[in-house]
This record gives sequence, C-alpha cells and structure tokens, in this order.
Amino acid sequence: MINLASRDILHGWGKFVFTGVGLGLLIGVTLSMAGIYRGLVDDGKALLAIGGADLWAVQRDTLGPYAEPSSVRDDAYRSLLGIPGVAEAGNVTYLTMQVQHQGGEVRVMLVGFEPGHPGEPGYLVAGRPITRSHYEAIADVRTGLRLNERIRIRRHEYTVVGLTRRMVSSGGDPMIFVPLKDAQEVQFLKDNDALVNERARTAANPVFNRPGVPGLLEAVQAGQASSHNVNVVLLRLTPHADESVVAGQIRRWKHLEAYTRADMDEILVAKLIATSARQIFMFLVILAAVSAAIVAFIIYTMTLNKVREIAVLKLIGASNRTIAGMILQQALALGVIGFIVGRVVAGLWAPIFPKFVLLLPGDTLRGALLVMVICALASVVAIRAALRVDPAAAIGG
Amino acid sequence: MEPPAIEITGLTKRYGVGDAAVDALKGVEMVIHPGEVVGLIGPSGSGKSTLLKCLGAVIEPTSGRMVLAGETIYDNGWKVADLRALRRDRIGFVFQAPYLISFLDVTDNVALLPMLAGVANGKARERATAMLAALDVGHRAAAQVPQLSGGEQQRVSIARALVNEPPIILADEPTAPLDSERALTVIRILNEMAQRFRTAIIVVTHDEKIIPTFKRIYHIRDGRTYEEAGEGRAA
Repeated sequence: MINLASRDILHGWGKFVFTGVGLGLLIGVTLSMAGIYRGLVDDGKALLAIGGADLWAVQRDTLGPYAEPSSVRDDAYRSLLGIPGVAEAGNVTYLTMQVQHQGGEVRVMLVGFEPGHPGEPGYLVAGRPITRSHYEAIADVRTGLRLNERIRIRRHEYTVVGLTRRMVSSGGDPMIFVPLKDAQEVQFLKDNDALVNERARTAANPVFNRPGVPGLLEAVQAGQASSHNVNVVLLRLTPHADESVVAGQIRRWKHLEAYTRADMDEILVAKLIATSARQIFMFLVILAAVSAAIVAFIIYTMTLNKVREIAVLKLIGASNRTIAGMILQQALALGVIGFIVGRVVAGLWAPIFPKFVLLLPGDTLRGALLVMVICALASVVAIRAALRVDPAAAIGG
Repeated sequence: MEPPAIEITGLTKRYGVGDAAVDALKGVEMVIHPGEVVGLIGPSGSGKSTLLKCLGAVIEPTSGRMVLAGETIYDNGWKVADLRALRRDRIGFVFQAPYLISFLDVTDNVALLPMLAGVANGKARERATAMLAALDVGHRAAAQVPQLSGGEQQRVSIARALVNEPPIILADEPTAPLDSERALTVIRILNEMAQRFRTAIIVVTHDEKIIPTFKRIYHIRDGRTYEEAGEGRAA
C-alpha cells in the first residue's frame, strides 16, 4: 500500500519542513527550559560536591549556609573534631557579591576556605593551588578571570593563581576562592568610617574606658575590628561512621545544626530552587500547550486543504483507518522534524545562556515521547474533521 | 441471458422530515445492461446527483430496490454490509473534474484502487500501467498530476475508475471542462471500455455535444426517470 502521508509530505515538503522548523524552535525553547531546571539542580549538587563534605555544621535553627544566613564561631571546629566519627573539619565562608572586572561587574560567590581542609575547590583546570595566606585567589572560568590577573575585592587586590570549572553557587554565580582570613575580613569587617565611629562610641563608654584599667579600651576596640565567625564548618567523616549518628551528636552536644548530604540536597532542591522549579514547570506546561495548539492548527489546516481528496479517497473505498493513519503519520512526522530541530538548536544555544543549561539524555528521550504524544493528540481534531468528510462530496450536486 | 448490470425499481429518496421534506427521487425505474453506455439527462434539481449518490452507495435511498451486477444491494434497506468494499470493488467513479490525488503521481493515482482492494503494490502498478496504456496516457505514467493537460487528467481518472474492472461506472459530467473534440474522445473511450470490459456506464451530462452519441438516454425530471431509446439514436 502506498504511504499516503509520506507522499503528501514529499509533495509539499518545503512548506512541511519550514513548519517543522518553526515548531522545532518552540520545542527548542521547551527543551531549554527543562535544561535550565536541570542546570539549577545540577548547580545545587555541584555546590554540595565542591567541599567534599559529609556533614555541614551550621548555626542552630537555620537552614544555612546556602538557603539561610548562618554564623558559627571559627573555633567550633576544634570541638567538632573531638566527636567520634569526624575525620576532618574546615571553616568556610560564603558571600555573594559584585566584583569589578575589566570595567564591568561580575556577580560571584566569594568562598573563604582553609587550604588542605574540606571546602577547597575539588580540582583545578589551570594554575596552582593557593599557597600564600593572603591575597591569592582561585576563580571559576565563568568569572572571565584569567591566570595572574589581579582583581580588587573590597580593600585588597588578589592575584588569580588557579582556575577551576563548574564551581558555582546554587544561583549559578561562579565562585572565587580566597584564604579564609581574607574572606572573613571581606564578609565581617566594617569599613573605616564605621570602625572610627565604633571606636569613638566605645571610648565614650565609661564601662570600657576606665582610667583605672589601662589596656581595656584597646582590647575591646581590637575585638571589634576582627572577626572570628564563619558560615559553616564542613566535616569529613571516617570511612565507617554513620553520618546521621554524628549529626545527632553535633545537634545534642554542640548546640549547632548539622545536615547530611541528603538533608542539603533536600534543602537546595526542595526549598531553595523550588519556586524557580515551579516557575519553569509552568513555562513547560504553557509551551507544551502552545506546541500542541500549533501542531493541531497546522495538521487541521493541512487536512482542510485536502477535503476533496479525502472525499474521493473515501468514495473509492479507502477506509477510515487509512485516512486517519495518513493524518496521524503527518502529525508524527511534524513532531519528529520539530523535535530534531528543537534538540539541535537547544544544544547550540545552551552555551549562550548565562546560567548552566543541562540537557540530559533522559530528558531528551522523555521530551521526544512527549512531543509524539502531543502530536498524536493534536491530530485528533484533524482526524475527526477528516472522518466527517462525506464521500458524497466528491459527487457533484 | 446475462443479468442487467443495474436494475432499479421504485427507488425513492426523501430529504428532511415533515413540512421541510423534499422528495428528490419519486420512484425511479432503470435497467442498464453490461457493456451499455447510457446518458442521464435532466435540469438542475431534477435528482440526477441524488440518483448517482444512491447508485454509488454513498447515500441511502428511502425505499425501492437496487440490484447491481445481479446482487440486490438495496431492498428497503441496505443488503450489503460493507458499502466501502462495494464502492471499491464494483463501482468506478468519473467526476466532472478529474479529482486526482494531487500528491500521487499518475501511476499511483490509478494503482491506489487495486492497492486498497488488497492487491500487492507491484501487481497493482502493473495493472495501472496497462490501464494507462489502454487509455493512451501510458507515456505520462511517471508524471505528477499538475503536469497533465485537462484531457489527460480525465483519461487518468477513467483509468482509475476502470482499473479494478468494476461492472458499473458512474460518470458525473465527465466532459464538462473539455472542448468538443476532447469531450467526444472521452465518450469514445468510455464506449470502447464498456465494450472491452463489459462495463455498464451511466453518464450524467448536460453536454449537448455528446448527447447524440448515446444509444439510450434516461431523462430525469422531478425525481422521475423517462427512457428515450430507439432506432433513431446515433450509434
């Protein structure tokens, strides 16, 4: 039997392919939206993987350090190291900020870490690790920074000594890693005017400025000018330690909150990016509906243009199944063209997006199935119209 | 004796109900034998198309009896379960315009019918090629429909109607878009095919040029048929 659908497509292939390309661009947008969602999740997972931690010890009653602010004394790690099952501990600070770069601004997450402890970048793609205590930085390549480039952060200039990749915040901002002390200063130290005001206020306070207690005022003022807080203490556990047991110990005895990797996954995916995910899901639903409407309209129009031919086909004995099959196959062919075009363009424009777009093979497969289902459903209207065509319409009168 | 290809008795067709009812056919009587080409002539609204649609099994008569090729297909109700197969296997259609399938080439337009009847693609194309050759359009077998002239398209549509060798062909004003010469050629071809395949052909027409070519004519007026026949009609 002749394949009527393919013959009809070949007969007007230019129009058909052009329509498929148009549909493909829409499908490309849909796939990109799915890729953006996957990118958000992957950014979150990458963030958790960066420090190589098993547990996150944060300020009590907070969802820190990524979903809520958290402040922990930087000597807390010593007592955490004493808990059975804890192998390593590392103080880490996180601060999202704008950094001047080449006349413009880059939004980055500044990470303070202690080299050799949990929290340092997992790998470098160029350069070397930080070896000095101050003013060296490792930057994610997406910051646009290059090796040996100097960058000003607050009061000081830092030299980029290493480059890394896929080190981003949950919001997709690339990271810059600096020594912990520098990061603490950036995050917690007040500016000069504030310090002067604070010192004056302290000096005016008779409690701190006692004539009979020399050195007290200077000690208090020195304490105000330094910071000993971090946002989180990252912990690595010994090989057979039970992370939930260790987390329970920390909560009970150290007055801190402790989250396992599964807990952090939940916080990042279910809480931090939940709204964005719902937003993207709504876009996906709308785009799917628009795609279905477009396919339905195109197939319906194509069918209406063939009413006389369909009437003749029915008159000469073509079955409803033959006619419905022709329309369904055309809808599916449109879907195939649209999907291939959509997948290709989504892959092409993904690197241009400012945020990470992750196109997973599984999503591609699911997308293909969804497109086919949408096209099949969209053809129903046209099939109904075709089946209603009266074969008598081929005969005059 | 060979049974009539078409035998219609007391055929009626009513559209609508109550006060809005219209009797399009009011007891049509008609007998056509195999190999005959019969003209069906009547003014607009006389019931020609309704009769053709009843014969083509695309609308159901209201009452009466229709026997096609010796089989009763309607006797106050359809007697054939599969009207689609009936149309496909026993009735060929030639329309006022050729109504070829624009996205199929000439051979496939003709081969489609045997294919719909379950004939293998290769065999169906062989039959189509032979039929196109018989109608002198074999040289256009690979052409696309828009590349054909009006006369060629009409020949292809006749080939399509004949390819399953149906006992009956219903031709609805097949010469309307053609000039005199081509119109007469089409009628000549229909006569030749009727003789060759023993096909009974009804030609609905207004075309004064071809009316003299029919040996028998049925006039239809106000839903009733009147036969005009005799020695004086042209051969």
